[in-house]
Amino acid sequence: MGLLKEEDRKYLIDEFSKHIKNPVKIIHFTSESNECMYCKETMEILKEVEELHDLITLYIYNFDTDKDMVEKYGIEMFPATVIEGEKDYGIKFYGIPAGYEFSSLIEDIMDVGEGKPDLKEETVNAVKDINKPVHLKIFVTPSCPYCPIAVRTAHKFAMANENIKSDMIEANEFPELSQRYNVYAVPRVVINEDRYFEGALPENQFLNEILEALKEG
Amino acid sequence: MELIFGPSTQKSSKREYDAIIIGAGPAGLTAAIYLARAKLSTLILEKLVPGGLAATTDKIENYPGFPEGIGGEELTSRMEKQAVNFGVDIVLEEVLDVDFLSNPKVIKTSDSEYTGRGIIIATGTSPKSLNVPGEQKFRGKGISYCATCDAPFFQDKEVVVIGCGNSGIQEGIYLKKFAKKITFVEFLPHMTAEKVLQERVRALDNVEFLLNHQVTAFEGEEKLTGVRVKNRETGEEFLIPADGAFVYVGLKPNTDFLKGKIEMDNAGFIKTDEDLKTSIPGVFAAGDVRTTILRQVATAVGDGALAAKLLEEELGG
Repeated sequence: MGLLKEEDRKYLIDEFSKHIKNPVKIIHFTSESNECMYCKETMEILKEVEELHDLITLYIYNFDTDKDMVEKYGIEMFPATVIEGEKDYGIKFYGIPAGYEFSSLIEDIMDVGEGKPDLKEETVNAVKDINKPVHLKIFVTPSCPYCPIAVRTAHKFAMANENIKSDMIEANEFPELSQRYNVYAVPRVVINEDRYFEGALPENQFLNEILEALKEG
Repeated sequence: MELIFGPSTQKSSKREYDAIIIGAGPAGLTAAIYLARAKLSTLILEKLVPGGLAATTDKIENYPGFPEGIGGEELTSRMEKQAVNFGVDIVLEEVLDVDFLSNPKVIKTSDSEYTGRGIIIATGTSPKSLNVPGEQKFRGKGISYCATCDAPFFQDKEVVVIGCGNSGIQEGIYLKKFAKKITFVEFLPHMTAEKVLQERVRALDNVEFLLNHQVTAFEGEEKLTGVRVKNRETGEEFLIPADGAFVYVGLKPNTDFLKGKIEMDNAGFIKTDEDLKTSIPGVFAAGDVRTTILRQVATAVGDGALAAKLLEEELGG
């Protein structure tokens, strides 16, 4: 215990009590492999977060041995964290949700606990119209102040439409993947493999990027 | 690793305020603290991230009160919490248009419309582009404007830092924790960074300085492989092989949405008098966004306090 400062813990308990009305499952996949840069730290963070509200429950699985759960959630790497509400929305964190990404984790939990994404109504309606699969990969570094804007928007879209899956990827922990996608600046948002953009866009512009990608596809 | 989060900025259902501040950097946050303590209802509108450019600074060493220096994000998030504690609403919406001539003044954002009896513009600045060939093409493919965001991608790589002012040198020192070699390029014949920073950067291994050199192009195929520079004295041109380039060649004011609405200087900074009043009554400007000779957290904070006090008087507070 003790990653969170006491004042921050109190603040979050208060915020969570205002927002969380439905059960939130944090489904976490870890590994004992030496290759895992921050598995231990990630688990510590999630354990502290679980303590902040009665409706939050942390489930821990082993990436190497809990194959059925790995398959069920479509987990590709570790550490991986899924934020689930009444269903699996397709919200994932690959790598440690620390630094600025801690705020993405916290706000995702509040959205899921509230049962609706914090989006404009017109955006929600437009996102709901997407009827093809969309997979968003958001490459970030924990020290990037703009990255949570991109991660949060992508995760909110996933919440609003089950065709959309969205993964935060902490670039330092997955260097090969970052290289494969030529990531040299963050946030980088990859839409269905081929299209990408950089930077924190407002939700309507982010949505336009997705719609353009679907047209091309 | 730190766990960072802001006071969750919520959508505000309130539409009418005594004071609206545009921009949640040090100037805007300070103004908000003073206005809220004067019991004026206060809204801050922020386009991107509370804390402004200061939040992207790895370490701030010249802001008094922190003898060991303080992380830019930590400093500004403290200001943010302080403002929220006094009852300030901080809302993440981009201002698209303003009507400063109506009474009260109207601010249209990406989501909504607000009115304020008084306005403080504290939108700050953004890093300037060089506008040379290749800059657009290699943006995000080797060219970056945020060292704290992107430094890890240049581990053991060769990097060029363009600009030897405070930002360039400070961010270069941070980058050196990752990069194998850094070449600093400065247009002027001398560095403009604080002396203490100059000494520190010169003491590093594997750093080179090209003063009085001008960047003429960024080169590469899929990604950046080099920065072409010209010696301004001899005219000699050559290529510096580089995997990354970080651009710190000055700041441009975030005032595009105010064009034609308020008096600005040629570079787009807002003109104020010594009381930080702009050309429009009831509208003040504070911090980096106004015409001034020094743009620091310390000056922004001073501006914020002064603008708030004078606005309070104007509102009959």
